[in-house]
Amino acid sequence: MTNVLLDVKAISKNFGGVQAVSLVDFDVRKGEIVALIGPNGAGKSTVLNMISGVVPPTQGEIYFEERLMANVPGSQYAGLGITRTFQNLQTFDDMTVLENVMVGCHSRTQSGLLACGLKLGQARREEVDMHHRALQWLEIVGLSSVANTLAGNLPYGMLRLMEIARAMVSEPKLLLLDEPAAGLNHTETADMTNMLKRIRANGTAILLVEHDMDMVMNAADRIVVLDQGEKIAEGTPAQIQESPEVIAAYLGTEEVMQTRGESVG
Amino acid sequence: MRSIVKKLGIGFIFYLLLVIIFPFLLSNEYYLSVGIVIGLHAIVTVGLCLLMGLAGQISIGQAAFWGIGAYTSAVLSTKYGLPPAIGLLASAIIPGIFAFLLARAIAGLQGYYLAMATLAFGYIVQIGLTEWESVTGGANGMISIPKLQYFGDSELSMYYLIWAVVTCVLIFSLNILKSRVGRAFRAIHKSEIAATTMGIDVRQAKLGAFVLSGMFAGISGGLYAHYMGILDPQPFGLHESIKFITMVVVGGMTSIWGALVGTVLIDSINEMLILLSEYIPGLQGDVDTIVFGAILVFIIMFMPEGLVPRCRAFYEKVKAKKRKAAGSQQAERKTVA
Repeated sequence: MTNVLLDVKAISKNFGGVQAVSLVDFDVRKGEIVALIGPNGAGKSTVLNMISGVVPPTQGEIYFEERLMANVPGSQYAGLGITRTFQNLQTFDDMTVLENVMVGCHSRTQSGLLACGLKLGQARREEVDMHHRALQWLEIVGLSSVANTLAGNLPYGMLRLMEIARAMVSEPKLLLLDEPAAGLNHTETADMTNMLKRIRANGTAILLVEHDMDMVMNAADRIVVLDQGEKIAEGTPAQIQESPEVIAAYLGTEEVMQTRGESVG
Repeated sequence: MRSIVKKLGIGFIFYLLLVIIFPFLLSNEYYLSVGIVIGLHAIVTVGLCLLMGLAGQISIGQAAFWGIGAYTSAVLSTKYGLPPAIGLLASAIIPGIFAFLLARAIAGLQGYYLAMATLAFGYIVQIGLTEWESVTGGANGMISIPKLQYFGDSELSMYYLIWAVVTCVLIFSLNILKSRVGRAFRAIHKSEIAATTMGIDVRQAKLGAFVLSGMFAGISGGLYAHYMGILDPQPFGLHESIKFITMVVVGGMTSIWGALVGTVLIDSINEMLILLSEYIPGLQGDVDTIVFGAILVFIIMFMPEGLVPRCRAFYEKVKAKKRKAAGSQQAERKTVA
């Protein structure tokens, strides 16, 4: 039981009468990659937003390390060890790549307005430390050569990597990724998959929302499938590939009948 | 020597030299008073630049904090006989408290709504200063506010005192810019959601930016009161707030040096208009408002990033081109050899 990092219990989300998510349960254990998949509009991003504290669930509870997250303000999630990236990138375009990643250190540092303005010892030490850590993560994701470039001048694929560095620099226990492969080409996706495995090897668990099945099947330890706001399946990649409900959700029931018919015939 | 230059940066040394020798370049009471006014305005605009350019929170009521600061110090030292030093301290703290309360009340507002709320605040303060006659002297204002005499009571000593404060405010703000707090300000400007997920308390960051800019404006106000010696509510209204915004926008909102450059530019234009109005009869009245409005529109249309960032980008471009040219020349030489 202590192995469970994130425990999602029967969460629902209602957007003004539209049931986006209903009664979804699953958990994420330490050091594993869980993928959340499903057709468009299945409620995957909504689930991720609820887990990262961006929107509160209408019903149900989310526990992180056995702590109820309902009343924790969004700005404290990073300090507790949950960080995320965004499907439509949320980068700080007018800052350099290095500065972007240094913002990620915010939850691990304390110096306030006065300390920063007067450059007191604490602020100075933290600044050096942040600089060092951010460079380290830029090295890991392979962006150290563009550290001093403005983020706004970077191509899409690099910005995705930068968002990961920014989320990882605070060394979270759980990393939430919203479609990290969106807009990436084949090689970039393969690189990204390797990156996820490296992050897992480092001890950070990942919850991944993704459409790219190559990445999901290759990286995920377990998969949770949503359809129209409900969980319809959960299991290992092999189990999910076989699951008739999942195939039905993705292809529609009629086609499944046809493929079945063919395989029988 | 070289290490000092490196540590402070050539720009900063140039600034210091300019500030120090300015009174000797144009040694004339009039120019000195212009220098003092520019310094007073610069303290406000540097703070406004932190609030608007970095944290992305617009304030059309900055002159109100300036006014609160001015009256705080004036009332304390004139009516209650406290030494101006205490008055000046209070003129930083009281506007800071006002900024804190205002920011707490309106922290959830964005864009137009925030602009409207700060505009309303500006009006309320100006009306308050005018109507609270028993304390502020109402529309007639206050007279015989004691001068600051820390380095003698000459205009020159006042000039150096004020520019010493400007320099402190500038260093403080430049430190903030390149720090955790400054990055948090810039982060909430771009994306509040992303900032929150990085662990930045958006509300607290906004409060910090408002309080800091309010305090800077207050300090400037206190100095203004003691410099002028007389005070009335007229300069602390919308007109002045817009002028502060124009200064910040012209210089470049994202640059603290920009706020300084914008202040120098706008105040110089202002003085020039006054000089010209003596020769050209049509220039009397509120011509400055029209001119500043036109400048603001021009800058927003053709140079939205402002003067300093534009010049910096141009400089970088020229440098890159030169480097490229030098590189290709070298390459040519190599191939020839």
